[in-house]
Amino acid sequence: MKVLIADDHPVVRQGLRQMLAVEQDLTVVGEARNGQEVVEISRRVPWEVAVLDYNMPGKNGLELIKELRQRYPGRAVLVLSMYPEDRYAVRALKAGAAGYLTKESAPEELVSAIRKVAGGGRYVTPTLGEKLALELEDNRGKPLHETLSDREYQVMWMIASGKTVRQIADELFLSPNTVSTHRTRILRKMNMKSNAELMHYAIAHHLVD
Amino acid sequence: MNDLAHGVTVETEPPLEPVVDKAKILLVDDEPKSLFALQELLSTLGQNLMVAQSGEEALRLALRNDFAVILLDVRMPGIDGFETARLIRARDRSKSTPIIFLTAAADEMTSMFRGYEVGAVDYLMKPVVPEVLKSKVAVFVELFRKTERLRESEDKLRRLAAHLISIREEERAHIAREIHDELGQVLTGLKMEVTWLAKRLKDKPLIEKTDSMCLLIDSTIQTVRKIATGLRPEMLDDMGLVAAVGWQAKEFQKRTGIRCRAKLPAESRFDIDVSTTMFRIFQEILTNVARHSRATRVDIELALGEAEVSLEVVDNGVGIEDQELHAKKSLGLLGMQERALLFGGDVRITGSPGHGTRVSVNIPLRKSK
Repeated sequence: MKVLIADDHPVVRQGLRQMLAVEQDLTVVGEARNGQEVVEISRRVPWEVAVLDYNMPGKNGLELIKELRQRYPGRAVLVLSMYPEDRYAVRALKAGAAGYLTKESAPEELVSAIRKVAGGGRYVTPTLGEKLALELEDNRGKPLHETLSDREYQVMWMIASGKTVRQIADELFLSPNTVSTHRTRILRKMNMKSNAELMHYAIAHHLVD
Repeated sequence: MNDLAHGVTVETEPPLEPVVDKAKILLVDDEPKSLFALQELLSTLGQNLMVAQSGEEALRLALRNDFAVILLDVRMPGIDGFETARLIRARDRSKSTPIIFLTAAADEMTSMFRGYEVGAVDYLMKPVVPEVLKSKVAVFVELFRKTERLRESEDKLRRLAAHLISIREEERAHIAREIHDELGQVLTGLKMEVTWLAKRLKDKPLIEKTDSMCLLIDSTIQTVRKIATGLRPEMLDDMGLVAAVGWQAKEFQKRTGIRCRAKLPAESRFDIDVSTTMFRIFQEILTNVARHSRATRVDIELALGEAEVSLEVVDNGVGIEDQELHAKKSLGLLGMQERALLFGGDVRITGSPGHGTRVSVNIPLRKSK
């Protein structure tokens, strides 16, 4: 498979080259340092997959993806970005990217992503996949935490952040009894039995860091 | 031309500006004799005296000049003194210019009251007592001077503040970019190298070492990203204000447990400086909510009009006291106002104890893109 590498940082390009050199079925056919070079090289070299840095000097990442998709609909663009996927991945995919990876991704992940998109598939990380699935689920019905009142939500968040009833009471200027009452009601509304379950839910739904 | 032909340049020194500009005083009287007398009397004050022989002339002059004080004869043909004063006061520029009426008719007590109604600040009976007139005018000149000086120093402070704000913003953006791009990319490269190495290792303890190195690099990359985003969210530049506000609201909810509801317009890009200003004000509002409000909920509405962008943030917390609002130490609030003012916008904070706080921000959009 013919791969184009586009990144403005020599270290990253070198790393990618080394990484891909090990793979028998992948050949790096070109390297670009910015969007302009990507466009130029694309005219001469028929790559199949481009591994594209999201923000290179010059052209905005999304515009570059759109342009490549338009000119070469048969080729796949895989975005490899410093930016966290929760903010950027969906946009990149909507613009026509076949996949989105952050630079922390394991090299094996990148290699398998390249293979997958080269075959016309799409690649999303398991984390993003889960997030998209949750969003679908949330769209079908109200997510459980939306049934909580504002105060209950806040108490739920504090429990999920690992705070004790006493700490919560102090911070909110409430009596421990009141906080306990809130907690009981939260657990009932959310159909849960323990703080651990709450924590798990909050993390899965990105309600806490 | 001749000078040029001979290769000679003649430089003329610009005339030295007087250290203190003279204050302008307008004297209005239909009788040339009275005008002359007033001029003579006030010439010792060393100010710039301007004269008008009718209401119309006075109005014309008041249109183009800022007077320290206007001496106005009440009885004039055409527009009389009172009417002239009313018209002068009707204009924004001269609405608080001090006016001293000069009246010859001692029995015109009622006219005096009429004078006060149109906003006169003083009156003198004709014939005027020279010393009284001089000292009165001198007081107004002094007042004018002080006001001017105050305005100048206010202006200077405001420009300085604006300068500092923009420098800080530039610096933050610069540092964020350096950290994110340089440091982040080197770390990425480093990680790739370590992974390359790991693939060639057979020794289990060594593989464990490279694994933990990778984990360390990952967490460092995340820290780098956090620092860079904290300094200046890259979203603001990449996606614009609407996306950045939405993201910040989510982050806030995640960080504080205070529920945020954001009503956002469709995404569109506009002036980056206005976007930055709005975004920083928004951050400051949220900081205040987290710090002081004890709210459990924040409602955010960002709206994009033809000519302005507006933001409204309402919380359900303890509300703000008027006292706090005006306390000198509320520098955060002052900072928001100054930031908005730089772009001709404003920040209004309303609220009462127990009923939450509402902050409304309006900033006009500049014509150029």
